[in-house]
Amino acid sequence: MFKEEIKIFLKGGSGKVGLALFTLLLALSLYVIASFPLDFGVRYWNNPSYWADYPITVPPAWYNFFSDNPKPEHKIISAEEKSFDNNLQLSFRFKQVYDDFPSFISLRLGKFTLNSLNPLTLELYLKRPDSEFILLKRQILTSSFEGNPPFNLYFDEPLRISLTADPDVSFEISSFLSRKYNFKILQTELLSKGAHVALFGKPEKDILIPLKGDYEIVVNLKLSDPKDKVGEARLILGGGVYGLMGTDSLGRDLFVGLLFGFPVALFIGAVVSFLVALIGTFNGIISGYMGGKSDTLIQRASDILANMPLLPLLIFLTFVLGQKLWLVMLILIVFGWPGLTILIRSMVLQIKSFQFIEAAQALGSTRGRIILKHIFPQTAPFVFAQMIFSVPGAILAEAALSFLGLGDPSLPTWGQILELGFRRGGIYSGYWWWILPPGILIMITAFTFLLIALALEPLVNPRLRRIK
Amino acid sequence: MIVGKKLALRGITLLGVLFSVLLLVVVTLGATGLSDNMLKAIVSDQLRELRTSLAQTIRDPLELEKVLEQRRNQLYDFYGLDEPWYNRLPDLIIRVLSLDLGSARNLKSFSGSSKVSDIVLERLPNTILLVTTALIISGLLGLYFGVKLAIKAGTKFDRFFSYLSSISYALPTWWLGIIFILLLAFQLRIFPPTGMYSSPPPSDNLLKFLDLLWHASLPILTLVVASIGGWIYSVRTMVLNVAQEDFVTLGRAKGLKESTIMKRYIIRVAAPPILTGLILGLAGSLGGAILTETVFGWPGMGRLYYDAILALDENVIIALTFLFTLIYIIARFILEALYMVLDPRVRY
Amino acid sequence: MMLELKDLTVNYLTDRGRLKALNKVSFSLSEGEALGVVGESGSGKTTLGLSLMRLLPKNAELLEGKAIFNGLDIFGLLEEEFRRKIRWKKISMVFQGAMNSLNPVIKVGHQVAEPLIEHENLPKPEAYRRAEEALEQVGLNRQVFHCYPHELSGGMKQRIVIAMALILSPKIVILDEPTSALDVSIQAQIINLLKKLKWELSLSFIFITHDISLASDISDRIAVVYAGEIVEIGPSEDVLLNPKHPYTKELLESIPRITLDKLPSFIAGSPPDMVDPPKGCKFHPRCPEVMDICYREEPKDFTVSKQRVRCWLYND
Ligand SMILES: Nc1ncnc2c1ncn2[C@@H]1O[C@H](COP(=O)(O)OP(=O)(O)O)[C@@H](O)[C@H]1O
Ligand code: SF4
Ligand SMILES: [Mg+2]
Repeated sequence: MFKEEIKIFLKGGSGKVGLALFTLLLALSLYVIASFPLDFGVRYWNNPSYWADYPITVPPAWYNFFSDNPKPEHKIISAEEKSFDNNLQLSFRFKQVYDDFPSFISLRLGKFTLNSLNPLTLELYLKRPDSEFILLKRQILTSSFEGNPPFNLYFDEPLRISLTADPDVSFEISSFLSRKYNFKILQTELLSKGAHVALFGKPEKDILIPLKGDYEIVVNLKLSDPKDKVGEARLILGGGVYGLMGTDSLGRDLFVGLLFGFPVALFIGAVVSFLVALIGTFNGIISGYMGGKSDTLIQRASDILANMPLLPLLIFLTFVLGQKLWLVMLILIVFGWPGLTILIRSMVLQIKSFQFIEAAQALGSTRGRIILKHIFPQTAPFVFAQMIFSVPGAILAEAALSFLGLGDPSLPTWGQILELGFRRGGIYSGYWWWILPPGILIMITAFTFLLIALALEPLVNPRLRRIK
Repeated sequence: MIVGKKLALRGITLLGVLFSVLLLVVVTLGATGLSDNMLKAIVSDQLRELRTSLAQTIRDPLELEKVLEQRRNQLYDFYGLDEPWYNRLPDLIIRVLSLDLGSARNLKSFSGSSKVSDIVLERLPNTILLVTTALIISGLLGLYFGVKLAIKAGTKFDRFFSYLSSISYALPTWWLGIIFILLLAFQLRIFPPTGMYSSPPPSDNLLKFLDLLWHASLPILTLVVASIGGWIYSVRTMVLNVAQEDFVTLGRAKGLKESTIMKRYIIRVAAPPILTGLILGLAGSLGGAILTETVFGWPGMGRLYYDAILALDENVIIALTFLFTLIYIIARFILEALYMVLDPRVRY
Repeated sequence: MMLELKDLTVNYLTDRGRLKALNKVSFSLSEGEALGVVGESGSGKTTLGLSLMRLLPKNAELLEGKAIFNGLDIFGLLEEEFRRKIRWKKISMVFQGAMNSLNPVIKVGHQVAEPLIEHENLPKPEAYRRAEEALEQVGLNRQVFHCYPHELSGGMKQRIVIAMALILSPKIVILDEPTSALDVSIQAQIINLLKKLKWELSLSFIFITHDISLASDISDRIAVVYAGEIVEIGPSEDVLLNPKHPYTKELLESIPRITLDKLPSFIAGSPPDMVDPPKGCKFHPRCPEVMDICYREEPKDFTVSKQRVRCWLYND
């Protein structure tokens, strides 16, 4: 049906590239919708405990390829379990090969199933390439429950021990260094630096440098019942790099956030531009074709709405009424349709005087029929091109608002990611992986629709000229 | 005198716009209860002052409370707080119009005042400086390149720049600013990343001006680059449209010089629609300024917006919304008057 | 002969391919003569006029043809030379659609005077004075000088465009559908004006129109154009009263006439696609007298009494 049109559309480079990019955007969005929960924003993205085990503000893993001084990757190590008597031993083995320290080290234990409420004793040992086991920490875990065993402990929220920030660990490791190397470092100083520097370091002159080799960390739990279980045990070595896109200052995996941005951006663009097109065209046709009071009313309203400065009002309204995405979209629609209405109205005024319209009227067609059969089809290509053209505007407006800190917190968008990066001084600290990708994605998405609109131009213009 | 009439009509429409914005603002404030809170804050400010001054004369705490209670009722009555919010709309409109919005929560003007009008008005010239400079530069460049492209329409050169200009349109202003800071301020260290003057600013007037220019370069560059694409493209389209008109062919047929054709038959005729483009782009420029100022820490009203949002300062946000609308409407009025001068079809 | 046009052939390059707008168009024009060029819309009339003015659009290619004006080969001249010596000075044109022929932001008087200022280097007051005279000559009030185009009616604009075409006292004026956008009463006024001017100034006209009865009113000779070719040319009375080409005959029958009791007939079929025209005679799909040869070979020009006809019927 549209063979000729499709051929003209695909003739130039912009049509092909635009369509290819659009397909990519759409595929990514569909993938995200299929695989992410809808409440991703609330449940995961803006839930700090979900990201607690992630390294903070680190560049992507592939950064190591370009760097002279590769940073350790993020590692999550699972335990080998041994039990004897009432002891449960969880042992984590790993090799440290990097010229740099891990950014932190923390232990996560969860899903305890206990058969009594007696206190548990937890002991933490470290074995380094240059040592036997060193006791780092001893802790008694108490719990109070009502009801009958078995008791579930640490199910919702696991027990976290940050070796980096633990005072006992700092104390023990500093005394080890002093015993073995006669190297003096105060517990408090170590705490401020992070104890991992000492845990994985050996002194050279007066600083600590990474000690490479095999390590083992052992958690010994003295249980009161042999049937007691620990369902989850992980040791996390914070990387200096993470994943495909790095992390932000809350440790959030930017790759996931950026990915989630695709459907959100397309959703905003599609819904806003579609409704603007719908309302704009409807009002334009009514105003141009019907004339009279409705014409005056629509003209007045669109004249006033089209002349209001958008961004200040967006800022004001979202600030006062709340940062909700639907509200932003509603505002964009309310202030968006008048532009189209003004254009459509003048088109309809011309179309109205065409002979076939007058003929149809003479033959007694109803107004609705004339609008549907004769007037709308004449404006349709133009409306379609305008609709595509207005997609970037909506996406850019939402991004701008998010960038001003007025984004909807329940849905991560590219603008919000960038905003946090900016607010956290990303420019000054050189967090390029945090600042560049969201901007690039916004730009590519906007550009995609502009390319398509550009390729649609030759399809729309001859018709426009014919109408003149 | 038709000009005067038409201009007056436009003026009335624009005033209508201003009034609608005001109404939107005050109704939103009233219906959400924000205006009540603002007034109550003013009242309790006054009561606090009264308490400290009365505390020296009235020793009896019960007596003091009674006087204060009385005063509170008077003030509530005075501000109309004992009535429903819509009865206070006219009053609120007048207060917004005169920027009489009390004091800001935390924000202060450069001179230390916390009166909203002081804070906001102090920033006004800085924003105007930024926006007008950028607008003039990008307007002129857009005109120049748009005409150039139109002459070469259909060539590789034309297509290449058409792509470039749609990239420029797709670029979020604020992100572009960030890139410029990363690149030109931190990597190459050519321009300062933020602010309006070095601290301390040079005392010599000329040096101070140069310092200002140096600081303004990046924000202006950002605004220009972000808006020039749309500019070039719309100028190109309009020039192309005019160039295809019959009167241009007739001008050529009459044997006029190509330069005359360009000046009087194409650019001169395309000028009014180009100006329309400028008028329509104005809102975008103001929006761009808000974002650019935020990125560059330019002490204008845009940056103030950002600070006020972070500080949750309603009064300042209301004042800014109103002022931005006002500036926008004044600028539009000036441009539309210019349009009438340029286009005889409107003039008569 | 003042103007001899021989074998003018023009193509337009379009998305769909080469559009053959004019094919071997020849005619001559003598001083004071009016040649009517008649044809359906899209038959190439405007292209013919633009070719003579050397104002063809960029996508046009002039494949073949010679135009000798007073011994000067005007297609062979350098553009600059043509602009200085011929265009508007010797041959001027009233473009189709006077509504859009005037610059909307310049006062019409100045637009009329422009050629005097730019071409002849006349001082402004002198040029303006002559422009005012020209306005009076075409029946307009001097006051019109200070008006902008949008303040004038269609008929007035048409007169202004004519004044503009006459301002340098050319030998030939090409009039491209000068009346088609106007009301009938105004149409008659303009035709009368043209007749008067032709008489007073002994001008030659090339009068382009789709309306053969209008052409007959003002022309000494008539050329009938079909699909980019002159299919018949001859003195007006002969073409009108004794048409030779089947297309001319059909054209004449389609005119509504009060005196005839026969209803006007429409020409069956539609004009050809000029990118891919019919083989042989381009009129054959619509021709009532079509013969075998017409499908195969393009007809040549034949002379029949006072007409020249491009049709195999006259092959003897
Ligand atoms: N610039 C152009 N490019 C391509 N085709 C054109 C152009 N101008 C005219 N044509 C085509 O050339 C043919 C002759 O056009 P024209 O000379 O304007 O005819 P007329 O004046 O008799 O209506 C038409 O089919 C028209 O569509
Ligand atoms: S050549 Fe043949 S087809 Fe063409 S007009 Fe003559 S008779 Fe008809
Ligand atoms: Mg024509």
